[in-house]
Amino acid sequence: MKFKQVLLHGLWKDLPPFRLVLGLCPALAITSSAEKGLGMGLAATFVLIFSNTFISALRKSIPDKVRIASYIVIIATLVVLVEMSMKAFFFPLSQQLGIYIPLIVVNCIILGRAEAFASRNPVFLSMTDGLSVGIGFTISLTLVGSIREILGAGTWFGMSLFGASFEPFGFMVEAPGAFLCLGLLLGLMNAYSRKRGEMFIQS
Amino acid sequence: MREIIRLVVVLSLICGVAAAALTGVRYSLEKRIERQSDFYVRGPALERLFNQPAVQLLGNKINFMTSNRVYSVFYTKSGDDVTGLAIEAPGAGGYGGDIILMVAVDLASDQMTGMEIIQHSETPGVGSRVEKVSFRNQWAGLSVSEPVKLRSQGGQIDAISGATYSSKAVVNGTNQIIELMSGHRDEIIAAIKSKGNG
Repeated sequence: MKFKQVLLHGLWKDLPPFRLVLGLCPALAITSSAEKGLGMGLAATFVLIFSNTFISALRKSIPDKVRIASYIVIIATLVVLVEMSMKAFFFPLSQQLGIYIPLIVVNCIILGRAEAFASRNPVFLSMTDGLSVGIGFTISLTLVGSIREILGAGTWFGMSLFGASFEPFGFMVEAPGAFLCLGLLLGLMNAYSRKRGEMFIQS
Repeated sequence: MREIIRLVVVLSLICGVAAAALTGVRYSLEKRIERQSDFYVRGPALERLFNQPAVQLLGNKINFMTSNRVYSVFYTKSGDDVTGLAIEAPGAGGYGGDIILMVAVDLASDQMTGMEIIQHSETPGVGSRVEKVSFRNQWAGLSVSEPVKLRSQGGQIDAISGATYSSKAVVNGTNQIIELMSGHRDEIIAAIKSKGNG
């Protein structure tokens, strides 16, 4: 029962970045196309799963006073590993994401999950938590990226959708479009939650 | 006291393992990353600088060693003569670290023919504008015999507004290449010739 809860909570109840309202920086900055959203989401998921696993495995040996420092070292190591692997195997994507890959280190979701979940739960459960939140983050970023790319450029994952006569709504791929798109989605989600009688803002 | 020792030991162990993991992965991926960056970044940059297909140019490479640094130098030849160089150098002082850039020099006229940014970590939308053609175009026709300066210091280069640090870093990198050319021009050409023969 507990396992199922942990597996599913990242997909709606704690869906990042909408419900946690953490990790907004990459969600606004790199979602100008679906491909970038997906790439960023997958990179963050990898870091989340492994940082949760290692931190949970070490939770009894890390002294309380240096826990944040230890978490940051572990997370930073994983991020640099991701950065190097991306450069070696997905070079064009790593060029597009640029500075935002190293910035995963300071992504609040990852440190948040480490502190709130992995530091007090067993390894397997923490791994599941990382997977769940990571997949939620990937889906959200791909969704925001898709909406912005379809409206703003008339393409989806680089494929042209509407033919040459379509006049793209260029505003959506610019920075203000990110705020608009994210805000509207967040509003719709809160409205839907309220209608279902869920608490619409996290306590 | 015991507690302090424990803090130090645990944190050092974690850092040690992390460093070992990073070194291992870096060592095993370095060659691959280099190849990818040749294919996707240096290749296209060289193509624009020399108007020749990248496949030929990427092979035309020597590593030129000075007393304090190794420079990647690409070249073009016509017959036995070296006609052009493209030298890669780091420009110190960028907002997010060094900006790696490449400057092409035409040896017949001793003028620069262009500049390309190979790698940077500048702020997106601000410093990253050093990649723009309108900024890079300013390098065509500059002389290699005197240092480059920003216009605000009485030089020839218009800095990007709001990105003075980044513009300055590119100028620094260029000056490093100019210095290399003035001190080692003949050695570089000799090194390229000896590579061709051997």
